[in-house]
Amino acid sequence: MKEKAFISLTNGFKDKLFRLAKRLLISTEEAEDATQEVLLKLWRNKSKIAEYTNVEAFAMTMTKNYCYDKLKAKETGNLKIVHSNYKDEQPSLQRQVEAKDSLDWVGKIMNDLPEQQRMIIQLRDIEQYNNAEIAAMLGIKEVAVRVALSRGRKKIREELLKKHKHGVG
Amino acid sequence: MELDKLEKLLEKYFEGETTISEEKKLKVYFTRETVPSHLESYRDVFQYFSEESNITATRNIVFEKNKKTKYSWMIGVAACVVFITGMFLTKTTPSGSVDTYEDPEIALQETKKILNMVSQYMNEGKQGLVYLREFENTKNKFIK
Repeated sequence: MKEKAFISLTNGFKDKLFRLAKRLLISTEEAEDATQEVLLKLWRNKSKIAEYTNVEAFAMTMTKNYCYDKLKAKETGNLKIVHSNYKDEQPSLQRQVEAKDSLDWVGKIMNDLPEQQRMIIQLRDIEQYNNAEIAAMLGIKEVAVRVALSRGRKKIREELLKKHKHGVG
Repeated sequence: MELDKLEKLLEKYFEGETTISEEKKLKVYFTRETVPSHLESYRDVFQYFSEESNITATRNIVFEKNKKTKYSWMIGVAACVVFITGMFLTKTTPSGSVDTYEDPEIALQETKKILNMVSQYMNEGKQGLVYLREFENTKNKFIK
Protein backbone atom coordinates (compact mmCIF):
# COMPACT_ATOMS: atom_id res chain seq x y z
CA MET A 1 0.00 0.00 0.00
CA LYS A 2 1.23 3.48 -0.88
CA GLU A 3 1.34 6.32 1.61
CA LYS A 4 -1.36 8.18 -0.27
CA ALA A 5 -3.77 5.27 -0.17
CA PHE A 6 -3.06 4.81 3.52
CA ILE A 7 -3.76 8.46 4.25
CA SER A 8 -7.04 8.44 2.38
CA LEU A 9 -8.05 5.24 4.16
CA THR A 10 -7.26 6.60 7.61
CA ASN A 11 -8.64 10.10 6.97
CA GLY A 12 -12.10 8.63 7.35
CA PHE A 13 -11.58 7.93 11.03
CA LYS A 14 -8.47 9.88 12.03
CA ASP A 15 -10.53 12.59 13.72
CA LYS A 16 -12.48 9.99 15.67
CA LEU A 17 -9.23 8.56 17.00
CA PHE A 18 -8.14 12.05 17.95
CA ARG A 19 -11.37 12.87 19.72
CA LEU A 20 -11.31 9.61 21.67
CA ALA A 21 -7.70 10.22 22.69
CA LYS A 22 -8.54 13.77 23.70
CA ARG A 23 -11.48 12.57 25.77
CA LEU A 24 -9.22 10.19 27.68
CA LEU A 25 -6.02 12.20 27.88
CA ILE A 26 -7.69 15.67 27.99
CA SER A 27 -4.60 17.40 26.59
CA THR A 28 -4.81 18.26 22.88
CA GLU A 29 -1.06 17.89 22.49
CA GLU A 30 -1.05 14.38 23.94
CA ALA A 31 -4.07 13.44 21.88
CA GLU A 32 -2.26 14.49 18.69
CA ASP A 33 0.70 12.36 19.73
CA ALA A 34 -1.56 9.41 20.42
CA THR A 35 -3.23 9.71 17.01
CA GLN A 36 0.13 9.88 15.28
CA GLU A 37 1.42 6.89 17.23
CA VAL A 38 -1.61 4.74 16.46
CA LEU A 39 -1.58 5.61 12.75
CA LEU A 40 2.13 4.85 12.53
CA LYS A 41 1.61 1.49 14.20
CA LEU A 42 -1.12 0.77 11.68
CA TRP A 43 1.20 1.85 8.85
CA ARG A 44 3.96 -0.48 10.02
CA ASN A 45 1.50 -3.37 9.97
CA LYS A 46 -0.05 -2.29 6.69
CA SER A 47 0.46 -5.74 5.16
CA LYS A 48 -2.11 -7.04 7.63
CA ILE A 49 -4.71 -4.34 7.02
CA ALA A 50 -6.59 -6.49 4.52
CA GLU A 51 -7.02 -9.14 7.21
CA TYR A 52 -8.86 -6.84 9.59
CA THR A 53 -12.60 -6.98 9.14
CA ASN A 54 -12.98 -3.41 10.35
CA VAL A 55 -9.90 -1.20 10.28
CA GLU A 56 -11.70 1.69 11.92
CA ALA A 57 -12.85 -0.36 14.92
CA PHE A 58 -9.40 -1.87 15.18
CA ALA A 59 -7.78 1.57 15.20
CA MET A 60 -10.23 2.74 17.87
CA THR A 61 -9.27 -0.20 20.07
CA MET A 62 -5.60 0.60 19.51
CA THR A 63 -6.22 4.21 20.53
CA LYS A 64 -8.03 3.12 23.67
CA ASN A 65 -5.17 0.81 24.64
CA TYR A 66 -2.56 3.45 23.92
CA CYS A 67 -4.37 6.00 26.07
CA TYR A 68 -4.85 3.53 28.91
CA ASP A 69 -1.11 2.85 28.89
CA LYS A 70 -0.43 6.59 28.98
CA LEU A 71 -2.83 7.10 31.86
CA LYS A 72 -1.30 4.22 33.78
CA ALA A 73 2.16 5.67 33.30
CA LYS A 74 0.89 8.98 34.64
CA GLU A 75 -0.70 7.36 37.64
CA THR A 76 2.55 5.72 38.68
CA GLY A 77 4.17 9.13 38.59
CA ASN A 78 3.31 11.60 41.33
CA LEU A 79 0.55 13.31 39.36
CA LYS A 80 -2.09 11.42 41.28
CA ILE A 81 -0.97 12.86 44.60
CA VAL A 82 -1.65 16.35 43.35
CA HIS A 83 -5.14 15.35 42.36
CA SER A 84 -6.24 13.52 45.50
CA ASN A 85 -5.50 16.49 47.69
CA TYR A 86 -8.66 18.36 46.92
CA LYS A 87 -11.23 15.81 45.95
CA ASP A 88 -14.54 17.04 47.24
CA GLU A 89 -18.10 16.41 46.23
CA GLN A 90 -19.00 20.00 45.47
CA PRO A 91 -17.57 21.43 42.26
CA SER A 92 -14.71 23.59 43.40
CA LEU A 93 -14.90 27.32 42.97
CA GLN A 94 -11.91 27.23 40.68
CA ARG A 95 -13.65 24.80 38.37
CA GLN A 96 -16.78 26.91 38.38
CA VAL A 97 -14.75 29.88 37.31
CA GLU A 98 -12.93 27.83 34.73
CA ALA A 99 -16.15 26.75 33.08
CA LYS A 100 -16.71 29.92 31.13
CA ASP A 101 -20.03 29.00 29.67
CA SER A 102 -22.52 26.21 30.13
CA LEU A 103 -21.19 24.07 27.26
CA ASP A 104 -17.72 24.06 28.79
CA TRP A 105 -19.40 23.05 31.99
CA VAL A 106 -20.87 19.94 30.34
CA GLY A 107 -17.36 19.10 29.09
CA LYS A 108 -15.97 19.44 32.61
CA ILE A 109 -18.62 17.17 34.05
CA MET A 110 -18.03 14.63 31.33
CA ASN A 111 -14.28 14.62 31.87
CA ASP A 112 -14.81 13.97 35.57
CA LEU A 113 -16.62 10.70 34.82
CA PRO A 114 -14.77 7.39 35.24
CA GLU A 115 -12.71 6.55 32.16
CA GLN A 116 -14.99 3.82 30.88
CA GLN A 117 -18.20 5.84 31.14
CA ARG A 118 -16.48 8.82 29.60
CA MET A 119 -15.26 6.72 26.70
CA ILE A 120 -18.62 5.04 26.13
CA ILE A 121 -20.49 8.35 26.10
CA GLN A 122 -17.89 9.69 23.69
CA LEU A 123 -18.37 6.73 21.36
CA ARG A 124 -22.14 6.66 21.59
CA ASP A 125 -23.36 10.23 22.00
CA ILE A 126 -20.64 11.98 20.05
CA GLU A 127 -19.44 9.45 17.48
CA GLN A 128 -22.78 7.63 17.24
CA TYR A 129 -21.50 4.08 17.20
CA ASN A 130 -24.07 1.52 18.27
CA ASN A 131 -23.67 -0.53 21.42
CA ALA A 132 -22.57 -3.67 19.58
CA GLU A 133 -19.75 -1.76 17.88
CA ILE A 134 -18.68 -0.18 21.15
CA ALA A 135 -18.73 -3.53 22.92
CA ALA A 136 -16.48 -5.00 20.23
CA MET A 137 -14.08 -2.05 20.38
CA LEU A 138 -13.72 -2.16 24.14
CA GLY A 139 -13.84 -5.92 24.48
CA ILE A 140 -16.78 -5.86 26.91
CA LYS A 141 -20.36 -7.13 26.81
CA GLU A 142 -23.15 -5.12 25.22
CA VAL A 143 -25.05 -5.09 28.50
CA ALA A 144 -22.06 -3.52 30.21
CA VAL A 145 -22.02 -0.80 27.55
CA ARG A 146 -25.67 0.02 28.17
CA VAL A 147 -25.24 0.10 31.94
CA ALA A 148 -22.18 2.35 31.76
CA LEU A 149 -23.93 4.60 29.26
CA SER A 150 -26.96 4.99 31.53
CA ARG A 151 -24.79 5.66 34.61
CA GLY A 152 -22.71 8.22 32.80
CA ARG A 153 -25.70 10.06 31.37
CA LYS A 154 -27.45 10.11 34.74
CA LYS A 155 -24.33 11.44 36.40
CA ILE A 156 -24.15 14.28 33.89
CA ARG A 157 -27.81 15.09 34.54
CA GLU A 158 -27.29 14.99 38.30
CA GLU A 159 -24.33 17.36 38.14
CA LEU A 160 -26.18 19.74 35.85
CA LEU A 161 -29.18 19.86 38.17
CA LYS A 162 -26.86 20.50 41.10
CA LYS A 163 -25.38 23.39 39.24
CA HIS A 164 -28.81 24.85 38.54
CA LYS A 165 -29.85 24.53 42.17
CA HIS A 166 -26.72 26.33 43.34
CA GLY A 167 -27.40 29.01 40.77
CA VAL A 168 -23.95 28.98 39.29
CA GLY A 169 -23.63 30.41 35.80
CA MET B 1 -42.44 16.81 19.15
CA GLU B 2 -45.02 16.92 21.97
CA LEU B 3 -43.75 17.55 25.43
CA ASP B 4 -44.90 14.31 27.08
CA LYS B 5 -43.45 12.27 24.24
CA LEU B 6 -40.24 14.18 24.58
CA GLU B 7 -40.06 13.60 28.30
CA LYS B 8 -40.62 9.90 27.83
CA LEU B 9 -37.87 9.82 25.27
CA LEU B 10 -35.56 11.63 27.67
CA GLU B 11 -36.31 9.10 30.38
CA LYS B 12 -35.48 6.31 27.96
CA TYR B 13 -32.32 8.14 27.02
CA PHE B 14 -31.07 8.24 30.59
CA GLU B 15 -31.77 4.54 30.98
CA GLY B 16 -29.57 3.95 27.94
CA GLU B 17 -32.45 2.44 25.99
CA THR B 18 -32.90 4.84 23.12
CA THR B 19 -31.84 3.88 19.62
CA ILE B 20 -29.33 5.90 17.61
CA SER B 21 -32.13 7.40 15.51
CA GLU B 22 -34.10 8.41 18.61
CA GLU B 23 -30.99 10.07 19.97
CA LYS B 24 -30.64 11.94 16.69
CA LYS B 25 -34.20 13.20 17.13
CA LEU B 26 -33.32 14.44 20.61
CA LYS B 27 -30.23 16.16 19.25
CA VAL B 28 -32.22 17.89 16.55
CA TYR B 29 -34.88 18.96 19.05
CA PHE B 30 -32.46 20.36 21.59
CA THR B 31 -30.29 22.24 19.15
CA ARG B 32 -33.29 24.40 18.16
CA GLU B 33 -33.62 27.85 19.55
CA THR B 34 -36.65 27.44 21.82
CA VAL B 35 -36.73 24.78 24.49
CA PRO B 36 -39.08 24.76 27.55
CA SER B 37 -37.26 26.37 30.45
CA HIS B 38 -37.24 23.28 32.67
CA LEU B 39 -35.42 21.39 29.94
CA GLU B 40 -32.94 24.18 29.31
CA SER B 41 -30.00 22.35 30.91
CA TYR B 42 -30.45 19.34 28.62
CA ARG B 43 -29.94 21.63 25.70
CA ASP B 44 -26.38 22.23 26.86
CA VAL B 45 -25.73 18.50 26.88
CA PHE B 46 -26.96 17.83 23.37
CA GLN B 47 -25.40 20.96 22.00
CA TYR B 48 -22.11 19.98 23.57
CA PHE B 49 -22.30 16.54 21.97
CA SER B 50 -22.97 17.88 18.52
CA GLU B 51 -20.23 20.50 18.83
CA GLU B 52 -17.69 17.97 20.07
CA SER B 53 -18.22 15.81 16.99
CA ASN B 54 -16.81 18.61 14.85
CA ILE B 55 -13.37 18.74 16.47
CA THR B 56 -10.63 17.66 14.10
CA ALA B 57 -6.99 16.69 14.48
CA THR B 58 -4.68 19.34 13.08
CA ARG B 59 -1.46 17.42 12.68
CA ASN B 60 -0.88 15.23 9.63
CA ILE B 61 0.71 11.85 9.89
CA VAL B 62 4.50 11.88 9.49
CA PHE B 63 5.99 8.76 7.90
CA GLU B 64 9.64 9.86 7.99
CA LYS B 65 10.36 8.17 11.32
CA ASN B 66 9.64 4.77 9.84
CA LYS B 67 11.94 5.30 6.84
CA LYS B 68 14.77 6.58 8.99
CA THR B 69 14.92 3.49 11.17
CA LYS B 70 15.02 1.26 8.12
CA TYR B 71 17.87 3.29 6.66
CA SER B 72 20.03 3.44 9.80
CA TRP B 73 19.66 -0.30 10.19
CA MET B 74 21.19 -0.80 6.74
CA ILE B 75 24.02 1.62 7.52
CA GLY B 76 24.85 -0.34 10.64
CA VAL B 77 25.08 -3.60 8.71
CA ALA B 78 27.25 -1.99 6.03
CA ALA B 79 29.63 -0.60 8.66
CA CYS B 80 29.97 -4.03 10.27
CA VAL B 81 30.77 -5.67 6.94
CA VAL B 82 33.47 -3.08 6.17
CA PHE B 83 34.98 -3.45 9.63
CA ILE B 84 35.16 -7.25 9.52
CA THR B 85 36.62 -7.42 6.01
CA GLY B 86 39.12 -4.75 7.06
CA MET B 87 40.24 -6.91 9.97
CA PHE B 88 40.84 -9.85 7.66
CA LEU B 89 42.74 -7.76 5.13
CA THR B 90 45.22 -6.34 7.66
CA LYS B 91 45.90 -9.78 9.07
CA THR B 92 46.84 -11.31 5.74
CA THR B 93 49.40 -8.65 4.73
CA PRO B 94 52.98 -9.58 5.94
CA SER B 95 54.26 -7.21 8.61
CA GLY B 96 57.65 -8.84 9.49
CA SER B 97 61.05 -7.05 8.89
CA VAL B 98 62.67 -7.21 5.49
CA ASP B 99 66.45 -7.50 4.95
CA THR B 100 67.87 -4.46 3.21
CA TYR B 101 71.65 -5.10 3.52
CA GLU B 102 73.53 -8.02 2.03
CA ASP B 103 76.52 -7.80 4.36
CA PRO B 104 75.79 -8.01 8.14
CA GLU B 105 78.96 -5.96 8.84
CA ILE B 106 77.66 -2.95 6.91
CA ALA B 107 74.25 -3.34 8.49
CA LEU B 108 75.80 -3.14 11.96
CA GLN B 109 77.73 0.00 11.07
CA GLU B 110 74.68 1.67 9.58
CA THR B 111 72.64 0.86 12.68
CA LYS B 112 75.35 2.27 14.98
CA LYS B 113 75.47 5.43 12.89
CA ILE B 114 71.72 5.92 13.22
CA LEU B 115 71.70 5.19 16.97
CA ASN B 116 74.53 7.67 17.49
CA MET B 117 72.66 10.30 15.60
CA VAL B 118 69.57 9.72 17.74
CA SER B 119 71.52 9.96 21.02
CA GLN B 120 73.25 13.13 19.81
CA TYR B 121 69.92 14.82 19.16
CA MET B 122 68.62 13.58 22.49
CA ASN B 123 71.55 15.19 24.33
CA GLU B 124 71.13 18.45 22.44
CA GLY B 125 67.50 18.50 23.40
CA LYS B 126 68.27 17.79 27.04
CA GLN B 127 70.56 20.81 27.29
CA GLY B 128 67.57 23.05 26.77
CA LEU B 129 66.00 21.60 29.87
CA VAL B 130 68.84 22.56 32.23
CA TYR B 131 67.25 25.79 33.30
CA LEU B 132 64.34 23.84 34.71
CA ARG B 133 66.59 23.10 37.63
CA GLU B 134 66.37 26.81 38.51
CA PHE B 135 62.71 26.34 39.23
CA GLU B 136 63.51 23.53 41.61
CA ASN B 137 66.11 25.66 43.41
CA THR B 138 63.80 28.64 43.75
CA LYS B 139 60.99 26.44 44.95
CA ASN B 140 63.22 24.94 47.61
CA LYS B 141 64.03 28.41 48.89
CA PHE B 142 60.40 29.02 49.76
CA ILE B 143 59.11 25.61 50.59
CA LYS B 144 61.20 23.65 52.98
